[in-house]
Amino acid sequence: MVDRVKVLEIEVSQPLTGFSGLEGYNSIHGLVRSNGDPVGYIDVPLCNGYCSASAVRAVLLKTYSDKLLQLMLRRNLEAPFADPRNLENIKVADDTGNPVPADNILVTVAVCTRDRAEQLRDCLTSLTRLTYGNVEILIVDNAPGTDETRKLVLSEFPDFRYVVEPRPGLDWARNRAIDEARGEILAYTDDDVLVDPLWVGAMVRVFQDDPAVMAVTGLVAPAEMETGAQRLFERYGGFGRGFRRIWYHVDAASRADPFMHIGAGKFGTGANMAYRRSVFGKIGSFDPALDVGTVTNGGGDLEMFFRVLEEGYTLVYEPTALVWHRHRKTFRELHVQLTNHGVGLYSYFMRSARNYPRRRRDIIRFGLWWFWYWNIRRLLKSYITTPRVPRDLIVAELRGALTGMTRYPKARRRAEQIRAEYGAESTDSTTVGIPEPVRPE
Amino acid sequence: MNTPLNNVPMAIRSVDLSSTLHAIDDLSKYPACRVYVFLGTRLLGMVDIENARQSISPARLRDAIADQLGWKLSSLLMGDHPYQPELSLIEKNVLARDTAELSRLPASVSVSIALATFDRPEQLRECLAALCKQESPRRIEIVVIDNHPSSGLTPPVVADFPGVVLVSEARQGLAYARNAGFVHSSGDIVIATDDDVIMPPDWVEQLVAPFERSDVGIVTGNVLPRELETEFQYLFEAYGGLGRGFEEFEVGPPWLRASRRRAAPTWKLGATANAAFRASVFRDPKIGLMDEALGPGMPSGVGEDTYLFYKIIKAGYSLVYKPDAYVWHTHRRDRKALRSQIYNYSKGHVAYHLTTLLRNGDKRAVFRLLVELPRTYVKRIIQRLRGHSVYPVSLILLEIRGNLAGPFTLWRSRRRVRREGRSEFPLATDARASRVE
Repeated sequence: MVDRVKVLEIEVSQPLTGFSGLEGYNSIHGLVRSNGDPVGYIDVPLCNGYCSASAVRAVLLKTYSDKLLQLMLRRNLEAPFADPRNLENIKVADDTGNPVPADNILVTVAVCTRDRAEQLRDCLTSLTRLTYGNVEILIVDNAPGTDETRKLVLSEFPDFRYVVEPRPGLDWARNRAIDEARGEILAYTDDDVLVDPLWVGAMVRVFQDDPAVMAVTGLVAPAEMETGAQRLFERYGGFGRGFRRIWYHVDAASRADPFMHIGAGKFGTGANMAYRRSVFGKIGSFDPALDVGTVTNGGGDLEMFFRVLEEGYTLVYEPTALVWHRHRKTFRELHVQLTNHGVGLYSYFMRSARNYPRRRRDIIRFGLWWFWYWNIRRLLKSYITTPRVPRDLIVAELRGALTGMTRYPKARRRAEQIRAEYGAESTDSTTVGIPEPVRPE
Repeated sequence: MNTPLNNVPMAIRSVDLSSTLHAIDDLSKYPACRVYVFLGTRLLGMVDIENARQSISPARLRDAIADQLGWKLSSLLMGDHPYQPELSLIEKNVLARDTAELSRLPASVSVSIALATFDRPEQLRECLAALCKQESPRRIEIVVIDNHPSSGLTPPVVADFPGVVLVSEARQGLAYARNAGFVHSSGDIVIATDDDVIMPPDWVEQLVAPFERSDVGIVTGNVLPRELETEFQYLFEAYGGLGRGFEEFEVGPPWLRASRRRAAPTWKLGATANAAFRASVFRDPKIGLMDEALGPGMPSGVGEDTYLFYKIIKAGYSLVYKPDAYVWHTHRRDRKALRSQIYNYSKGHVAYHLTTLLRNGDKRAVFRLLVELPRTYVKRIIQRLRGHSVYPVSLILLEIRGNLAGPFTLWRSRRRVRREGRSEFPLATDARASRVE
């Protein structure tokens, strides 16, 4: 119970309260939100499981006064400044502050899972609370070993669609979702995630706002920080990518930084991403040689971010599209996860260097730089100063990186085998929930 | 000059917050966009967006405005907030601008616009068209000074605009031309401007409004770039451009003598591409007209306007900078023009300081020239080498060369003025006698 941290939400449009009854926790890690828009994290120490509202307020104001003001302005700019001196004139769209998009776009939420029924239940429960109404939820059961998932969905979530994807590998499952989805927008999340009620709505707003946007990623916050491994993962960088909305677009004609989009990890992660379904017709679907369930163990999401940008489309990071991720609880799992990060990242580099010859030089240069900057330099530094994270994790990621440089060809052969084994398109699907799946045009 | 500038050409657009924000389209040529943000006629500031040749959605525009102009907008929003008495006091006393001010100057006060031109008929036509659309209750007289009458390019353009007065000034030099304009203007207020600008319809009213106070002798306005299509136009803006920011300020005689050691930076007060003067100051024996030895067209480059500001403020008047009275200026597009402009500015800067030293005995000029200037150059070169600025070292060296040439060119200019004679008010009280109608 040493050093447990309680993860909370602090909504500043509500009166601030203190927290009590948190015996056993050392401090709170609060995600500050202003009318749903994430502002940032604050850490407030607890004393005997208690902290006062004024302690929270003091930390909040000290850290985020500017940011809160800016968010307020941004919202106020949504209506014309008819008479700027009159706050009454500024209309706020609804009580959450965000204009609720017209629900005329059907969104398919795809949850890819394998044999984790307990976690999946929480994830699906959170999906029933979305504020955006026009959604279709699709559970893709990837090469299941048991029929737990099937039973869970059928008995507790009869409104959700359930399909089985027998080809093992997360990207096979993601591609299956592309085939099955009926929505114009396809949002992906994982089974170890709890989604925020505003999640889909915030993404749809970005897609609606700008027809050029083809992909949206969002903030991934920690759902809990109960164990040392979970806290360490957040300190290691976590999955969050900041609290500012960022537009990414690669301008091929400009002399801007050619490496901008190669370090694709900064755009987000596969636990929280959405695409216009039409984009897959233009740039192809996920590469089944990548990601969990194959020897590469990751990188499928990064590769898709890279491809979207490289092919000249726009990707937006929208922090309001928020999900809560359950980080791995034990050090052993964390160790494996970081090794897989290394493998996945370098497999993605190899894959992209192979498929984009004109970018090969840039990718190799960036890959080498990253290897030096992230894997080697940190390791060397850890011998000189006290490292921020234990050295064995740095070593784990380094080993992963070295492995990753060689795995892709093997994974590719394996994907070809699977393709041959199951035929080009899997047909033995089991769809329940909604009868008569309509094939996309 | 091979600086990699990723954001050139830059599109220039403006938005008005008092109406709904729309997406900015047609940016397929532009990797970046500079957006001037208005609230009605009030110019709040500008935001730069790197849009990578994509159109900018309203949400992105809002984000950029809130991020880059946040504090400015918050002062507008918080103005009457009932729970923030201190804030609203600050707003009232410090940040607010009196909007009623505009109507206070009596309509009987007349205005002359003295527009100097040198063989640019196309631009002159656009400028005159914009001037003819001014909305003002007062009498506005437009005087065009042709500084190169022998080319014959200007008269046909002026002939197309009835009521516009044409004056010829054969002696070359912008100071001669401006002086001719001041001499031949009959208005109570004289506005000086150039042929390469265009202005919005409320420009005159915005610019003359501060003259309601009797101590105001000069009002200068903002100069915005009309386009940033080339690297050189962008660099000219980066060099400082002609605008002086989005905040109103005023200076007076105490400002001029604030420091015993440091010269008052009159070159930061604005430019005569957009400046208005109380006409009576030119007949003041302590002030007189512009010093002909300074300014474009003379070997000494520039400095005629700063020296005039210097004299007027020294005589006891104040200067008001009015950012809402803005004009759009077409910076010159090519590299040669940028280099010659920067070279001239550097020569003129030295010439101006020497003039204050020689004519007014202002010893602060010595400190400026021998200590401050060298120090700034060293700082700027270090900044550039560290990568903190995009301004090329070659241009800094050019500035230094210009500075070194300053004294000699001033001497040459003065000799030329002695040869060609000074501008004077005609002895006859009716200034119109020598006009070419």
